[in-house]
Amino acid sequence: MAAAATCGAGAGSPGSVAAAVDRSSATSFQRKGPRAGGADGGGPRLVSIAGTRPSVRNGQLLVSTGLPALDQLLGGGLAVGTVLLIEEDKYNIYSPLLFKYFLAEGIVSGHTLLVASAREHPAGILQELPAPLLDDSYEKEFDEDGCNHKTPDSSMKMKIAWRYQLLPKMEAGPVSSSRFGHYYDTSKKIPQELLRTAKWHGFFLPERISPPLTVEPCHLTHGYMKLLEFIKKIVSEEGVDGSHPQKKTKNILRIGIQSLGSPLWGDDACCAEACDDSHSLTKFLYVLRGLVRASLSACLVTVPAHLIQNKAITARVTSLSDTVVGLESFVGSERETNPLYKDYHGLIHIRQIPRLNNLICDESDVKDLAFKLKRKLFTIETGL
Amino acid sequence: MPRPVHWSRRGRDAIRARLSGRGQQSEMLESLLAFGGLVLLRDSIEWEGRDFLKALIKQSALCGEQIHVLGCEISEEEFREGFDSNINSRVVYHDLFRDPLNWSKNEAFPRGPLEALRAMCRPTDLRPVTIALDSLSWLLLHFPCSTVCQTLHALCRQGDSSPVERVNVLGLLHEELHAAGPLGALSSLAQIEVTLDGTMGRTSAHILYRKPRHRPAHQTQWFSILPDFSVDLQEGSTLQSQPHSDPHTLLVDPTAHLTFNLRLSKKERETRDSLTLPFQFSSEKQQALLCSEPSQASSHIFYEPDAYDDLDPEDPDDDLDI
Repeated sequence: MAAAATCGAGAGSPGSVAAAVDRSSATSFQRKGPRAGGADGGGPRLVSIAGTRPSVRNGQLLVSTGLPALDQLLGGGLAVGTVLLIEEDKYNIYSPLLFKYFLAEGIVSGHTLLVASAREHPAGILQELPAPLLDDSYEKEFDEDGCNHKTPDSSMKMKIAWRYQLLPKMEAGPVSSSRFGHYYDTSKKIPQELLRTAKWHGFFLPERISPPLTVEPCHLTHGYMKLLEFIKKIVSEEGVDGSHPQKKTKNILRIGIQSLGSPLWGDDACCAEACDDSHSLTKFLYVLRGLVRASLSACLVTVPAHLIQNKAITARVTSLSDTVVGLESFVGSERETNPLYKDYHGLIHIRQIPRLNNLICDESDVKDLAFKLKRKLFTIETGL
Repeated sequence: MPRPVHWSRRGRDAIRARLSGRGQQSEMLESLLAFGGLVLLRDSIEWEGRDFLKALIKQSALCGEQIHVLGCEISEEEFREGFDSNINSRVVYHDLFRDPLNWSKNEAFPRGPLEALRAMCRPTDLRPVTIALDSLSWLLLHFPCSTVCQTLHALCRQGDSSPVERVNVLGLLHEELHAAGPLGALSSLAQIEVTLDGTMGRTSAHILYRKPRHRPAHQTQWFSILPDFSVDLQEGSTLQSQPHSDPHTLLVDPTAHLTFNLRLSKKERETRDSLTLPFQFSSEKQQALLCSEPSQASSHIFYEPDAYDDLDPEDPDDDLDI
């Protein structure tokens, strides 16, 4: 075959020479693609897990936080293997909402959930999750929502002068369920059949610790120790740390911990400025980050930062987490009457964004971001 | 009034009382007792809260509930003073005052008062239970704050799982004894927070309703407590859940006195719409570009050669004599 090609090189037309070269294996470049047989260990393959996507900046695997607006601010989503810390607002109105969006996103994407709380039972939390907005049954309602604010004067279309007219329109509303990042309707609960298909593990502190509660002399609070052991057990059971290599389908474990650092966990960080176990919370976060890094999991922790008395602990907690987002609601504060803020429900502060395998992080230039919770949408807007 | 999550029997009683015109006196107290959970009563030296606590106890007793009181600061006789026998029969008093360190080794608190608290609301009968803690400050001074918070949370939760209605926990807290830490921690646990204050001999209660998943609502109520522990409300109460903006700020209209036009008339709008923008690629423009070689010249250029013009491009210096 190769001999015939070289003999015919001089006389033949360019087309046939090219064809001959193609058919022969003279080139050393091989096309890498998915093999038809799907054999194991056949070279590096792209890991495609439902509900994740690689980051466009550094190729890191990302999961959605449940809020597309927040995903955008964090550089595409929450990186797998990192901890997202949310500083609760004063009356704890909006941070449980973010917690529920995170868990609901996990259910819709088919991830495994681990819910830990000292205040409410995890089954109760899961019953309260918002229903996802799927497909175009809600597109027209989304448009309605947007149109409600428009006056008749501004109902005419904006004319764009030149080449943008030829570009396709960007979609701003809810799209089909296979996309990354969904919208949720907070006025409806998640449908029961969707909840039944979900795989979840719950950790409710009063059930795990039997009274009388003795004061533990060890470094970590008793409640934290139990929680860490539980997380480690679930991580190895689910195989997200790679301990079952024969498992073909990989899945992400979403860990949600509610109100860490509050006195209900047995932690004195909110009660006293200098307490005996003042390192308990920071040690917990350190071990948690180690567990999460070594597995395919993403963790969301809410902390009542306004209650923590010792500011040094707040600073350490911030540096021990990867991404830190602070919520400040206007309820009950003097900002509620400020006309500048009348359309919004609160401010959102992105305090820290991690540098994962990078020298710089994805920090946006805009520092004043405000959020508002509409009937079906949690929007974050910039620049008041 | 904030919208309640579910109507307990107490809540229905509150509505009935209001409808029957029993008056405002019991309305405030009933609204405090209607929702269950922890009612935190913050008082100070000038405005003492024990009388208010006793008024709440009397209200619960009148609704037919059984009340357990953990008494730490005053003796039982002093506490029961002023209650009539009907109410006294419903009050079960657990005395920590006489022997706080348990030196006489009696069996009242075998494993400590916190354990006794938890045992108190295990449902032995189906009547709703109110637990009054007099005072929470005493517990905070003797036990770690996180333990107290966990016990209180367990008490409030007990009502969710048992067939009885929600358990009401009334806690008296002396504000001046504690730093901001424990105060903040207990506030975040409480469903209702009542802060006693006042001016010039009149007491006011500033009530903050913190229902989960609802916006917090404030209410300020001026009152005085009569010798038989019923509450006499004075003036009107002001319910604010949406504070109003300051009426003294004048609203300035920024669209007045402009040098440019903000509104278009109909004719102007039509003209604007029909205008073709310069870089807009329309079919007419396409035609014009394609047929850019005109067969008949549409424009002429007239030129008079200047003195310095070079008519011969091959001889720039004009010195060739050809």
